Amino acid sequence: MHDDKKSLGTEDMSNLKVLEMENIYKSFNNNYVLENINFSLNKGEVCGIVGQNGAGKSTLMKILTGVYQKDKGNIKIDGKIVEIHNSITAREYGISMIFQEFSLIHSLKVYQNVFLTKEPKINNLFINDNECIERTKKILNSLGVTEKIDPKEYVKNISVGSMQIVEIAKALASNSRILIMDEPTASLSKYDIGLLFKVIKKLRNEGISIIYISHYLKDVLSICNRITVLRDGRIIFTKEKNNLNIDNIVKAMVGEAYRKSVPRKGKYIDKSKKPLLEVKNLSDGKVIKNVNIKVWKGEVVGIVGLLGSGRSEIINTIFGLRKKISGSIYINGKEIIINSPKNAINAGIMLIPEDRRTEGLIINYSVKENIVLSIWDRLKNLFIVNENKAKKITEYYIKKINIKTKGFREPVRYLSGGNQQKVVISKSLSTKSKILLLDDPTFGIDIESKQEIVKIICDYADAGNGVIFISSELDEIASFCDRVLILKSSKVTKEILKNQAEFSEEYLLKIIQ
Amino acid sequence: MLEQDKIKNVNFRNYIVYIALIVIFLVFSVALFNKGFITQNNIMNIFRQTAMISVMSVGMTIVLCAGEIDLSIGSIVALSAVLTAYALRYFNIWIAILTGLLTGIIIGFINGLLVSKIRIPSFLVTLGMMSILSGVARWATNLVAIPVTNRVYNFIFGSGNIRTISVLFIWTIIFVAIGQILLKKTSYGRYILATGGNEVAAKFSGINTKNIKMSVLIISGITAAFAGMLYAGRLHGARYDLGEADLLTVIAAVIIGGTSLSGGKGTVIGALAGSLIMGMVNNGLILMGLDNAQQMIFRGIIIIGAVSFGIEREKY
Repeated sequence: MHDDKKSLGTEDMSNLKVLEMENIYKSFNNNYVLENINFSLNKGEVCGIVGQNGAGKSTLMKILTGVYQKDKGNIKIDGKIVEIHNSITAREYGISMIFQEFSLIHSLKVYQNVFLTKEPKINNLFINDNECIERTKKILNSLGVTEKIDPKEYVKNISVGSMQIVEIAKALASNSRILIMDEPTASLSKYDIGLLFKVIKKLRNEGISIIYISHYLKDVLSICNRITVLRDGRIIFTKEKNNLNIDNIVKAMVGEAYRKSVPRKGKYIDKSKKPLLEVKNLSDGKVIKNVNIKVWKGEVVGIVGLLGSGRSEIINTIFGLRKKISGSIYINGKEIIINSPKNAINAGIMLIPEDRRTEGLIINYSVKENIVLSIWDRLKNLFIVNENKAKKITEYYIKKINIKTKGFREPVRYLSGGNQQKVVISKSLSTKSKILLLDDPTFGIDIESKQEIVKIICDYADAGNGVIFISSELDEIASFCDRVLILKSSKVTKEILKNQAEFSEEYLLKIIQ
Repeated sequence: MLEQDKIKNVNFRNYIVYIALIVIFLVFSVALFNKGFITQNNIMNIFRQTAMISVMSVGMTIVLCAGEIDLSIGSIVALSAVLTAYALRYFNIWIAILTGLLTGIIIGFINGLLVSKIRIPSFLVTLGMMSILSGVARWATNLVAIPVTNRVYNFIFGSGNIRTISVLFIWTIIFVAIGQILLKKTSYGRYILATGGNEVAAKFSGINTKNIKMSVLIISGITAAFAGMLYAGRLHGARYDLGEADLLTVIAAVIIGGTSLSGGKGTVIGALAGSLIMGMVNNGLILMGLDNAQQMIFRGIIIIGAVSFGIEREKY
């Protein structure tokens, strides 16, 4: 590392340690979720914490921010033992969480958010707006984003990436010295990620310390000085980033179970036959222009394009969620009319939406209620629904695709992201559809569930069905699709077959830019 | 496990309304034993007094489950009662029944159209409708009560008893049974709950959420119109201000019964229990000899108390 502080940051320089967590234990109902955690953070350092869902990352951070209380162990700030009873004491010690789901108030302006509850006052009475604006400007300036964010703009009008930076400004306005970022790049565009990383580097130079939690290992490797891997509530290792690569991090995260996913073999498709699904000249008058897609039986067709390239819009339009102005859809050569998702489902097309929590699931409802949601009409005798059948179908899918749940009555909000997604997939499979449209089905879920989900999808295709697969993870596309369509400004610009030489993650990454 | 506790906790809350019903019943039975609270006559009286509220609660539960609300029910009551009474005066009982029901269907349909097609929030649509209908009822009657003298009508829709059982009690049971089956046992009921639980996910699952919204407002129109017909039969006449005070009582009964104001969760039987609690408290307070002002205050306290036990709080 070229960073001077870094080379000094060894064990004996404890005066540089802003945070030490020693021998932390935490249990729920006699089950240890954290065991003997030793973690430290130097001044001006970005330390990554990675681990699968349920490894204990969130619990550890909740202890640090005062949401949970540790059972045993010490927390030291600047070398002094402290007790963090609640989020207010955490903030007094300078610890701030930058939330994954942003905690800004969209109807207020940027500066109003930055100084929310700590507004400077005139005569202790009226808010001094000018001072708020000036100080917000100063903070944004120190982050190097003065031109990008106007303090007087409403938060609802700025980009998601800017919101994240406003969150950081908000933390700095309350003199935080330790920032915790939980999956900060998940919903950001490439441009915004670059901006965020620039800000993080600035913060680091100013002596702010950052705990960076993410599933995006490439991001972690590029921005962090050190990386800690958690598994099953224990620290597997903490290492300098120079000694690490994605492979050995993944190995540590997954443990014994780690196996490199086996790429799917390319399929020979007899294209003289009628395609299972054919989309001709699909346009919506806004985003999509004359899109043509063919999917044959047994095929997994990937659609690759940057966010905003129209990839979600295409499959949403096929599914009848968006109005089309032209274009026709054929299944096995027969034209079908789709004006609503109901038409699509009846014709045998099912969509797995991009956002499972808001579009795929009714989060307070049970596993069963969610899985059979699309097929209640088929489960009735006369007009009374057959609960027993619904239960059997649910249990069949819980077993078949290995949904980890306490039972079919458990509300899906208590399931992990991966298992929630399996519920969404079960809902789709239960409709017995022949064509699945998948919109980034493995987004934000742990590696093990990811592999399981990809396998379910491949098995589904191998059984003689067709799949259109959108993913923001190009390695996934490269290893599992039989054919890839490259989408640029709402048009299919290129088609690549599996056995072609250019069928690789690196090539796809280059060509979509 | 922490999570399991949460699940149990929710289940406990689901039964709180029935526990409250029993507790209030027992307290009044002991406290008002000498004043005849638990005579058969008085119990049937409570059912008589709450029948219209109970019938309306069925519709309101269904509307709230779909994530909508219907504020126009009070004035639908008045209008349907008035129109039914007119129809009885000029035509026969069959046309009168049809008139009453059609009033509810048509108003529900207009509400539904505005909500689902023009996409105005149901709160605003039905708030406006409430005022329009009250105006129409006043204008149609010229602020004069219309007597209902048709004996058969009065017997069937309010005043009659079959042995010792009031027809109002029977209507209550019929509506609650239909509502409960509709909401819990049919696929249509599941789609209502799904629409209220997460409209977007429901749409993605192939549910026609527009039709659902339209239909729940029609259902609530029908139950409100029917309650108006019951008022006309029980009071042997109709006035422009019938049911005007019922809206808040109905909402209170439904919420106490465990239905979520934000949609996706609700029970018709719970709403019946909520409605009975409201009726019992009313009855009990009168027997205690409290005056009108005192009753209102007590009723408010009981609503807040019952809801604070029953309602599911968001935890952050």
